[in-house]
Formats: sequence, C-alpha cells, structure tokens
Amino acid sequence: MIGLVAQVGDWPTPVVDWHALAPELVLIAGINLVLATDLLLEEGRKWATATLTGFVLLGAFVPVVTLAVIGGDVRALFDGRYVIDDFALILKALFLLTGYVVVLMSQTELEEGGYYQGEFYVLLLCSVLGMVMMTSSRDLVSVFIALELLSIPAYMLAAWRKRDRKSNEAGVKFYLLGVFASAVLLYGMSLLYGATGSTRFDEIAASLASGDLIGLQIVGITFVIAGFAFKVSAVPFHTWAPDTYEGAPTPVTAFLSVASKAAGFVALVLVIFTAFPTADGVYGPLVWVLAALTMTVGNVIALRQTNIVRMLAYSSVSQGGFILMPLAFVNSGDAAEPALKAVVVYLLVYGFTNLGAFAVVIAVARKTRSGAITSFGGLISYAPGLTVLMTLFLASLAGIPPLGGWIAKFNAFKAVLDAGSGSGYALAVVGAVNTAIAAAYYLRVMREMWMNDPPDGDRAPIVTPAPVATALGITAAGTVVLGIVPGLVLRFADLQDLTGALGG
Amino acid sequence: MIAQAAADSINVAQNVGFGIIAAGMIFAALCVVTTSNVVHAALWLVLVLAGVAAQYILAAAEFVAVSQVLVYVGAVMVLFLFGIMLTRAQIGPEKGLNNRGWAAGIPVAVVLLGLLSWAILDAFEDTTLPDRGPTTTSRISDDVLHPYLVPFLAISFILLAAAIGAMVLARKD
Repeated sequence: MIGLVAQVGDWPTPVVDWHALAPELVLIAGINLVLATDLLLEEGRKWATATLTGFVLLGAFVPVVTLAVIGGDVRALFDGRYVIDDFALILKALFLLTGYVVVLMSQTELEEGGYYQGEFYVLLLCSVLGMVMMTSSRDLVSVFIALELLSIPAYMLAAWRKRDRKSNEAGVKFYLLGVFASAVLLYGMSLLYGATGSTRFDEIAASLASGDLIGLQIVGITFVIAGFAFKVSAVPFHTWAPDTYEGAPTPVTAFLSVASKAAGFVALVLVIFTAFPTADGVYGPLVWVLAALTMTVGNVIALRQTNIVRMLAYSSVSQGGFILMPLAFVNSGDAAEPALKAVVVYLLVYGFTNLGAFAVVIAVARKTRSGAITSFGGLISYAPGLTVLMTLFLASLAGIPPLGGWIAKFNAFKAVLDAGSGSGYALAVVGAVNTAIAAAYYLRVMREMWMNDPPDGDRAPIVTPAPVATALGITAAGTVVLGIVPGLVLRFADLQDLTGALGG
Repeated sequence: MIAQAAADSINVAQNVGFGIIAAGMIFAALCVVTTSNVVHAALWLVLVLAGVAAQYILAAAEFVAVSQVLVYVGAVMVLFLFGIMLTRAQIGPEKGLNNRGWAAGIPVAVVLLGLLSWAILDAFEDTTLPDRGPTTTSRISDDVLHPYLVPFLAISFILLAAAIGAMVLARKD
C-alpha cells in the first residue's frame, strides 16, 4: 500500500500550454457542440449545423493566427512529443481552411440529396481534428492515433450515399485497404520501437544515426513508408483511389484528395525529416521509385479517362508523385531545406487548386447530372465564369506560370536538382516528361469547354449556390496569390524549426 | 552470481513455455485459414489470440495480457460471432470461401516470414529478457496520462466517430 502511494506521488502533473493546444480544444468543443445542436434541431433546419461547423473551423483558425503572430520560440509539449512550430502552424491553417471550403461545398449537396447532415459535419470535424493533431505529432504513438482519427471518419464519409452501390463500394474498398495499410504501418512502428527503444522521433533519429543500420531497422523504416504510401495513394498502393473518388459524394472526394492526402504527406515529411533523416540509404531509393512510378502510372491512366472525377483522381495520384519527388533527397547535399519548402508549398498550392477544380465539377454537375468530360462541352457559352475558373485551376495543375502550380513545380524541381546527384537529374527528367503528359489531359478538358458545343444543346445558365461560389472565390484567390507571392508561405517552412526543436 | 543463475533458469523455463504456446498458436492459425466453416475459423482464432495473451504473461506484461483477453478474446470475438450470425444464413461447412488466387499468396507469405525472422533474429539473437521488477501497470497509467495525453484524448474521438458513423450507415431508412 505504501509502495502504491509512493508511486502515485511519482506522477508528474503534465504542464499544458493551453494556448498551443487551443486549435485542437476549439475543435473538440465544436464537435460536441455540433453533435448536441443536431439533436435539438428539427428536420427542416438541419442546414444550421453546416453554418455552425463553418464557424467552429474559423474559430479554430483564430488561435492558429495568434500563435503565428506571437511567433517566437517553438512550443514543445509533453517532452517534445507534441510540437507547435511554423511548419505545424501553416499546415494546421491549410487543414482548417480545407475543412471550411469542404463544408461550403457540401452544404447544398447534402440538403438536396437528403443525406444525414449533422452526423456528416461531426465526422468531418473529427477528421480535421486528426489532421490538425498530425501536424504537431513528433512521436510514433501520436502519429498513428492522428492517422486513425483522420481516416476512420473518412471511411464512413466515403460511403455516405447509402443508397448508391458505388458509394458503398467506395467506402468498403477505402476501409479494407486503409486498415491493411494501418496494420503494415503499425507493425513497422513496433519493429522500429523494438530496434531503437523509443517512440519519440528525435530519439529514434539519434539511435538510427549512432551506427550502421541493422536489418530490423531497415524493415521497420520500409514498412512505415509503405504504410504512409497507401495514405497518399502512391503507385503501387493507389488502387483504392479511383474507385473511392468516383463513388464517394463529390465534396468528400475533394476532401479525400486534398486533406487526407496532405495529412499523409505531413506524416511522411515528419518521419523522414525528424525520425530517419540519416537512413537515406533505405528511404531514398524507395521514395525515388515510388515518386517515378506514381507520376508516370497516374498520368498514363489519367489520359484514358472519360469521367471527370476519375480523371481528377488519377491526376491527383500523379500530382502526389511530384510531392514525393523532393523527399527522396532529404539527406543529400544542400537539398534538405529546399525539399521541405517544396513539399509545403506544393501541398498548399495543390490544396487550393484541386479543391477549386472539384468545386467547379460540383457546380456543373448540378445542372448536367453527369460526370463525363464531354458534359463540359460548350461551357463557355452558358457559364463563362465557371469556364474561366476551371481553366485557371487546370492551368495551375498543369504548372503554367504565373499560377500557383507553376511555383510548386518549380520548387519541386529545384529541390531535386539541388541534390546534385545523377539520380536527382534522372528523377527531374522523369518529372519533366510527366509534366508534358499531364498537360495533354488538362488541355483536353479546356478544349471541350472552349471549343466544343454542349452535347445536348442546352444553354440554360448554371445557378451556382452561394456557398459553392464562396468556395470558388477562396480557392481561386489562393491559387493566384500563391503563384504571384509564394514568399507569403515560404517563411513558414523553416527546416531549423522542424529539426531544431527536437535537438536534431 | 545466484541472481544470474536464477535469471538463466527463468529464461529456460520461459523459453520452453514460449515454444509450447507458439507451436499451439501456429497450429491454430493454420486451422483458421484451412477450415471450411466460418464459425470454426472464428473459434480457432480465439485460441491464437489467447496464445498471444499467454505470451504477454510470460514476458511479465500482465496488464497487456489482461487487456488482450478482455478486448480481443472477449469483445472482438463476440462481435465476430454476432456478425456472422446476423449476416449469414448458413452456419456450417461451405465451399468457395477461398479466394481463387490463394496460391499466389504462398510465396509472398514465405518471403515475408523469412525476411522478418531474419531481421528479428539478427537484432535480438542473444538478448535475455530484462528483469523489470514486479509491475508495469502503474507505469502504463502514468504514461497514458502524461506524455501520451494528447493521443489518449484523440482515441476518445476515434471511438465517438466510429460509433456515430456505424449508426448512420447501419440504420434502416
């Protein structure tokens, strides 16, 4: 008994920096609030949950801004297991903004489709909470739990159109492959913990750097990277993506292809930069092959698609290859700093641009009720605004200056070339070829919109609901502004912060 | 010197125990994949999971062992059997349970087994089990409520999300 009391006395009260945790706490309060409000609302007024969810996401944005304005020291909580630095803040901002835009896009879809609304937004907020936690996690346990928290709601959101077989298929495929990937990831993490004796990224890095890698560590690193490769739908782990993207409700597809994917990349960046930076002999070739395959296979299949959502799905697979590209050269030459900047800028630009493209698809599909690329024929003659915006987003995805996509691609190539090695030049060539291939299918949609006639001759104008119009405005502004002044965000991707905070 | 000898003898006894339980688990695991009756497969799986719990006790991790029994042998398996009973008409042996490409899995499984065995043997070949003292349960609770506080909070929201989503998707409307 005395021994027990003594042990209780040993427990140190955790020191919690409430300001640093404020974005998460606002989201937690918001989840409960939306859940409770949904119970009290009558059936006809469920739309109010969407408004409330929007306010919760914007409310969580406030502490992110105040933290960024105050700046100063990196805030490390729980012995450096949970860290708030510039890298975490800019990505928290991205995830909250993405969540907000997805709420705007979902609102009319859910109301008109007669789907469950309150529950949808609660799950969406839970998923965003997982992503926000992911950006700050510097520990195997935190990363894994954050990954599950962001994935499990997403599995169910993908199957939200319950009466549609395709949506059920989308949910089941995503779920089965997702949990399989989680199992591989968790097994790799347990091997790493066994081989290094710690779950903290900085201690893992120190242990890996202290001598030659042993077999167990190599297998662990490989499994962890393969697990995250599923999440970012890198080839050959991409097979779930097109079916899931096609079957899921379109706002959910936008959410998966941007937020869920970006969260996977955040996790990859964290493990590669902070947990195994010196093990580039293992992850370097692995990421190189993944990047080259992802770009090429995604592009070649995207060329053959006739459904706009499937095309965007494969295009997002191939864009993932460009984001992976700099990660192969984190430890060679001076490539570390440009690599981190390239990934962060690419994630931000890709987020705005892809969300915008999906918002246009939602607006057009409201009238045409079709997912075929040919349904965009003659869009210019009855929806010039949407046509211009879609052209803007596609041009940005293709990497045409001065839009955001150009800056993103430029940084990615610069990071790879900075590595100054033969394999770096080879990957840059693969990337350049793929940029050209990608332009072909983006231009095809543009030609359809500008040159062809409407397939059914119907030129009635499209009425864009106000929330979708707002979403279009936010994403278009982001795409253009990031292209012209990328310096706005570059400041936040400071490598010193990311590894320095951990004593690395 | 005596403590050293005692530690050695404990390791011998543990190694024998480990071997017996492991052999039982491998047999049960093979039965899980070869039996043609889904309910039997679930029951063989109980044996595998109970074996894991026994291994945890041998490794002096009694809290993890109890959790394993409660969560896996108890809750998950009951859920499994309920799932089978609620969704399938036929409870008996049946054909066509195997995927047609099952043979392709064999080389993959063998390669994976070889790779993992090599990696684990290579890392821990001669390591003896450390003497950790009588209990680790209080350390687990300390860890959960201090360094792992944020993931611990996050888990409650995973459960909340899973419950809400399951109700929406399973609900008849």
